[in-house]
Parts: sequence; structure tokens; C-alpha cells
Amino acid sequence: MTVAIEMKGMSKYFASTHVRANDEVDFSVEKGEVHALVGENGAGKTTLMSILYGLVKPDSGEISIDSQKVRIDHPDDAIKNGIGMVHQHFKLIPSFTVAQNILLGMEPNQAGFLNQQKENELVEQLANRYNLPVDPAARIRDLPVGMQQRVEILKVLERNAKILVLDEPTAVLTPQEVNELITVIRGLSKMGYTIIFITHKLIEVMLVADRVSVMRSGRMVGTKKVSETSIPELARMMVGREVLLRVKKKEIQRGEVVLEARNISVSDVNGLAAISHISFEVHQGEIVAVAGVSGNGQTELVEAISGMISLDGGEIIFRGKSINETSVGQRRDMGMAHIPEDRMVVGLNLQTTLDENLIVSRYNHSEFSRYGFLLMKTISEFAEKVVKSFSISAAHPGEGISMLSGGNLQKVVVGRELSGNPSFIIANQPTRGLDVGSIEFVHKTLIEERDKGAGILLVSVELDEAMALSDRILVLYRGKIQGELKTATATEEEVGILMAGGTLDDLKEDTRDARHSIKREVDS
Amino acid sequence: MNSQRFRKILDAILVPLLAILSGLVIMGVLILFLKKPLFESYAVLFSNGFGCQAYGNCIFITALERATPLILTGLSAVVAFRSGMFSIGQEGQYLVGAATAAWLGYAIHLSPVLHPLVLILAAMLVGAGYGWIPGILKVKLGVNELLATIMLNSIAALVVEYLVQFPMRAVKSTTAHSPVIDPSAQLMSFLPGSKWGVGFVIAVLAVIVVYVYLWRTKSGYEQRMAGQSKKFALFGGIRSDNAAVRAMLISGALSGLAGAIEVMGVHRRIMTGFSVGLGFDGLTTAILGQVHPIGVFIVAILFSGLKLGAQIGLQLKLDIPRELGGTIIGFIILFVAAGKLYEENIMRARDWLLSRRGSKLKGESH
Repeated sequence: MTVAIEMKGMSKYFASTHVRANDEVDFSVEKGEVHALVGENGAGKTTLMSILYGLVKPDSGEISIDSQKVRIDHPDDAIKNGIGMVHQHFKLIPSFTVAQNILLGMEPNQAGFLNQQKENELVEQLANRYNLPVDPAARIRDLPVGMQQRVEILKVLERNAKILVLDEPTAVLTPQEVNELITVIRGLSKMGYTIIFITHKLIEVMLVADRVSVMRSGRMVGTKKVSETSIPELARMMVGREVLLRVKKKEIQRGEVVLEARNISVSDVNGLAAISHISFEVHQGEIVAVAGVSGNGQTELVEAISGMISLDGGEIIFRGKSINETSVGQRRDMGMAHIPEDRMVVGLNLQTTLDENLIVSRYNHSEFSRYGFLLMKTISEFAEKVVKSFSISAAHPGEGISMLSGGNLQKVVVGRELSGNPSFIIANQPTRGLDVGSIEFVHKTLIEERDKGAGILLVSVELDEAMALSDRILVLYRGKIQGELKTATATEEEVGILMAGGTLDDLKEDTRDARHSIKREVDS
Repeated sequence: MNSQRFRKILDAILVPLLAILSGLVIMGVLILFLKKPLFESYAVLFSNGFGCQAYGNCIFITALERATPLILTGLSAVVAFRSGMFSIGQEGQYLVGAATAAWLGYAIHLSPVLHPLVLILAAMLVGAGYGWIPGILKVKLGVNELLATIMLNSIAALVVEYLVQFPMRAVKSTTAHSPVIDPSAQLMSFLPGSKWGVGFVIAVLAVIVVYVYLWRTKSGYEQRMAGQSKKFALFGGIRSDNAAVRAMLISGALSGLAGAIEVMGVHRRIMTGFSVGLGFDGLTTAILGQVHPIGVFIVAILFSGLKLGAQIGLQLKLDIPRELGGTIIGFIILFVAAGKLYEENIMRARDWLLSRRGSKLKGESH
């Protein structure tokens, strides 16, 4: 095999944040391989790839492409050298069609006039050539995320990229879309394309990559052949210590019902039914997981229980009282905590200080305010306490939080929500986008709360997470509960078939999802 | 910790400071075009805006007097902006407050302490009511507060003009104005021949009150959180709608107060063309002052000084049109709006400097 990319001694120091993002990093990728680049948030993966793509100028180091030394000062240089990047947040124009986006800046024209027909044909041919079918005339804003990503990939291929850098491509995808993407990556690799796949989900590394490089705090820890390593080994390399991939749980001590939903219905922002007539209960001391592919009503269910939107019908009973007319603040006062799906916009206010973020649910209580005035000293002491007990090392009372990593931000949210001794916790995708170490922390903390007697409603699109944490699983499909399972006796196949809208009767030996059988092999 | 705080303050004032310097440089270019002496112009501008000839004869005192309504309308904008309401209704609220104070100033007769208090409270109430309208329209019907306040400004201007021309017009006046308010309702000034007085003290108090309100009280916290992120507020259990309406009430009251002080301390009546854009100047003051009470206080004095310097100094002494003062302020605002220009270059320069130092340090450690 020949070497496609060779990066040697790459260093980059960000003075404004005092971070040595890359420290003498060596990285090499062979032609035609799928090379995973893993590491925790802030390990320096994105910086390394930004250097390769000409977005960040390194302090030192050299880059060779096909054994030729090159200078990459600008993305244009990267594109000339056959490097294409698919960013985590797509760079597409929502109101343009697929064809217009793919051919942006290189449209075929006749005397300055565009030819829509011809554009569509060109994109059609391109899509067929790579076996990535798209509708050239569809507008981006109407497409699901997975399809938008496909457009991004086609856009890069059209610009003659031979080396594709995919920055956390699966972070935004549903499990089905992940499977499709994996097929696409495999296909491109067979056609001779070189693919660098940035991720922190180790299961995906095992599924798709040929080799894997691990980074930790700005340094390259090592490169391994996927066939010669294992998930626990990679996790250890990433975090620098032994990581519990499966949390240990005590026997369930189920108490009284803490929250009950009776025949509730909720609409989404467009007024369409998102949750229709569902009922369930959550007891003290148990974790009930709501599994399901994202977009099946989870968001609306969570917002309705927390009080952010109102019910269309039915009743929610919390600690014996109907809370249909109770405000968010009152529900929180009654002992409800909420770890939201979106910590950047909903769960935190990145524009203000740590202290002010930590008191949002309780600034009204006498512990934090008196006669309408905030008790600044108590609040600051409280922030100090949260920082200590949840070991949020990077956060400081009185200072902003916008520079914190995703894992630390989530710790701030979790710290706030759990420090009020809640009796009921809604945890909506509590580990989304977090690295292995932070996931371990969040899981451990939730189990601790369960053992202390809180009832927890865990909403997760990660099947593994639902299986690992919960005592019962409710599968949500198109706004209804498709089935309920006891986690101890449930299999992933059973949950999977319910997630896809089937019933347990449909389950036969041969319907085993390829993903899970591969996973078995990997695990064993 | 202390250096952290210092850096924060430095970050906050860097852009306005550079914007002001850039504005003054542009002024120099314009003066050169007019073929006037450059350095003398600067000297005249400053000595006539901020200088002191002798004790008791300070132009700076006049600058402070002129700054008084600006501070209050600036604070009014700060309260609205911090609470997520892009209200530019200061002008209208200022006018209705002024009209209220002018009317009660001659229509009722009270003792010297009570009379001004009643006027001030009434003007604040009417201003608050005028601020409440766009607030409630926004919350209940989703009416854009920007458009609503623009319209309400025009309505206030026309209604007050009508009041001055007809019902409130003093009998014998040639140009329309209301009767002079009772001496008992007038605000005291500190120096003979100057109008700098109690009004300024009220403005300073307002700066402190607004600061404490926004950053040290529950209500202020609610307003700022709702202003920065509606979703976060909803999630945390803060009622953003209440916070928005409350912000508009307070904002309106502050502008109304500005109107009352201008009537009671400066003009002693209301006349046609009463507002000379003080409402809008308050808006720009708030923006240049980093939407912070202290910033507003400093910028209001600076603006008033610049205008005075241009008016008295440049125009009278050097025959440079006084509009130059307004032009400089306009440029300063423009440069603030283009603040990214400075920020990016400063960051780049700092990164470059620090990375040089960083690599040097690294070199030593090897």
C-alpha cells in the first residue's frame, strides 16, 4: 500500500485559549483505506483535520500528499490536492436544490445563463456513478439529515476529491442512516477513495475502519489495525485509564409511582399530532427508558412532561397531583429535574456566567434570594460546591462557560439538575455528543440517583444506552408506545423490531439486524 | 481573579475606545478637507466640550447638564435591550413624560417638595404606560416591538405637538409653548446661571438603581435570562412574557423620567419641537456604552461634550459647521457597529504575540 497522507510533527498552540491543541502529532493514512481518527472532545482531532484542510495554520510540521511535500494554506489548496471535507454542520444552502448546491460556483452556463435541466442531468450522472441516489431537483430544506449528508459527499466528490475527511458524520444521524452511511463509506473505499473518519463512537470504528489512530490531549497516542484491537483497548487509549463501558447496577428497589401519564396527547410546533393517547408510569427507584428512532415524538413528550408545552388531552400526575395546569417553575419546585437534549441552547445560557446558569431552576428559593435580591455570596459558594462535587475542573464560579467542552457543559447541566435532590428526573439524550469518559460519568450519576430513590425517565435513541441503564423500556413509534419490555429479559432484536414499528410476533430468527450480529462479534 | 476582572473590563471598553479614536481621526480628515488648522481644531473641540475656564465657568458642567436626559434614555434602552426587547420607543416615552410633567407643573399647585415628586412620578407612570403598549402587543399578539415603537414614537410626537399648539398653549406666546411651570415644581440647579442640578443627581441614582436591579435582583435576573435565551428561560421556569412586559414598563418609566427632568430642570415648560432627537441619542448611547449602565453614563457625557465642543468651539471660533459634531458621533457609531473589525485584528495580534512568546518558552524548556 502506498501512503496517501503523511503529516509529521504537527503542532498548534492557541494562545487565546492557552491550549496546545496539537503537540508534535504524526499521522499517516494509506491509500484506499478507511482510517478512523478517535479521541475525546478537545483531544485535537478537529484541529489536526483543520490543518490538513487549510483552515488552521500550524506552528510547525509538514504535510505530504502522495509522498510530495505540499503547502496547504487555504481550503483551495486542499481541494487542489484532492482533499475534500464533509463538515459536521453541513455547509449547504437550504433554499437551493440538490443540484444547485452540488454545482455551486461551477454551474454549466451558456453565455451567462444557467441551465437547470443540464445541472440536474449532471448531478444525476454523478449520483449514479457513485451509487449515491439523490433527487437533483429537491430542495435541501425538505431533505432528511442523512440525505443532506449525501449531498455534501457528492459535492466533495464533484470537486475531484480523492481523500475524504468526514468530521463526526454520524453525530446527527439516526441508526438507519448510520447503517446507510457505513455502506456508502465501504463502497467509496472499494472504488479507491481514501477516507478519514473522525468519531468518538468506538463501535463505529470497529464497523467501518481498517485502521484507527487515537489522540489524547493534543498528542497522538497510537495507530492500530482495527482487526488487532478492541473497544476496551481503544477506550483506554482515549481516556488514559480503564473505562467502565457497562455500568454496574444494584437490584431494583421499586417504590411508589412518582409520575403517571394518563392517555396524553401532544402536538408538535406545526400543530400535528406528535404523541397520541399514551399512558405509562414511572416509579421511585427505577429508570424507564423511552427508546425509539429520533423524531417519533420524544421531544414533544419531554417538553410536555417538563411543562414547556401544554397537553392536547389526557393528564399528567406527579407525586399524586395533576400538573396539567402547573408551570415549569412549579413543577421544578415540586422536585422535577430535566436534563434536556440540547444543552447549548436549552439547558444552558452560554452568554452568562456559571453561577447564573446554576441557579436558573432555583433562583426563586429562599436559599438564593431574599426580598427580591439575589444572595450573591451564597450563589457563588453553591457554584463552588457544584464544581467540586461534579469535578467540573475547567469551570470557575463567576466566569463564563462558553469555552467549556461538551462534556464539561453537560456536567454543569447534570450538576444543577441533580443538586436539588429531585424525586423525578427527565434525562433526554443525556450523553449525546459526549466522549467515553463523560458518558461514564453521566451514566454513573444517573444510576446513583436511581439508587437514592428517584424515578428517571431516560429518553435515548442509542439502543445500547437504553439497554444498559434502564429497568424497563418503552418503545416509542410514531407517537405511540409500540411495546413495553423488561430490560433484564429483553433482547436487542426485540427492541429493534419495535423501534422499526413491528411487533414481537414479527420477530423470527432471520430478521436479525446486521448491525447487532456484527456487534456481537466485536464484543466477543 | 482580579486580573480576570480587569481583562473583562478591558475587553468591554476596547472596541468603544478604538471606535472613538477612529471617529476622531476621520474628523481630522474632514477638517483637512475644509482647510482648517488640524491641531487647533482638536484643542478647541476638547476645551469647549470638556474644559473649565475658571471656577464656576465650566463648559464641562454644561456637558453634564446636557448628558442628563441622555443618561436616562440610554438606561431606558439598556433595560429593554438586556431583556430581549429591541425597543426604540425612548423618543415617544420621553415626549409623553415631558408633556405630563409640563401640564401638571402649571395645572396643579403643591408645596415645593411634593410638587416635583408628583410630577416625576406622574411622568414615569405615563412613560411606563406608553412602554407597556408595545410590550403587551409583543407578548399577546406577537407584534414586532421595533415597528410598534417606531409607530408609537410618531404618534407621541404628533399628539404632543397638538397639545402644545392648542390645549396647553400659553395665551400670549408667539411660538407655541405651554405656560411656565410653578416655581415649586422646578428642579434646583447647583450653580447660578447653569441648569446642572438635581436632575443630574437623579440620573446618577438611576444608573446605580438600574445596575443593581439588572444584576442583583431576581427580577433583573429573569429579564436578562429571558433576553439572552428565551428557550433557556422557558426550560428553567422563567416567565419570559412577564419579564418582557416588566422591561418595557421600566424602560418607559426611565424615558418618561428623562422628559420630566428636561421640563422641570431645563426648559420649565414644553414647546414645539421639544425633542431634539434625545430619544434616539439615548439609543446610540446605549449601544456605544456596551448596553451597560456605567457605559451609558460615560458615553452620554462624552457625546454631550463632543456636541458642545463642535457647537461652541468649532462653529463659533473656527467657523467649522457644528454638524461636524454629529458627523463624528455618527462615525463612532458606525465604527462600533463594525466592531468585529477591531476584535478580529486584536485577537490575531494577541495570538501572534502570545504564540511567539509560547514558542520561545517552549524553546527554553527543550
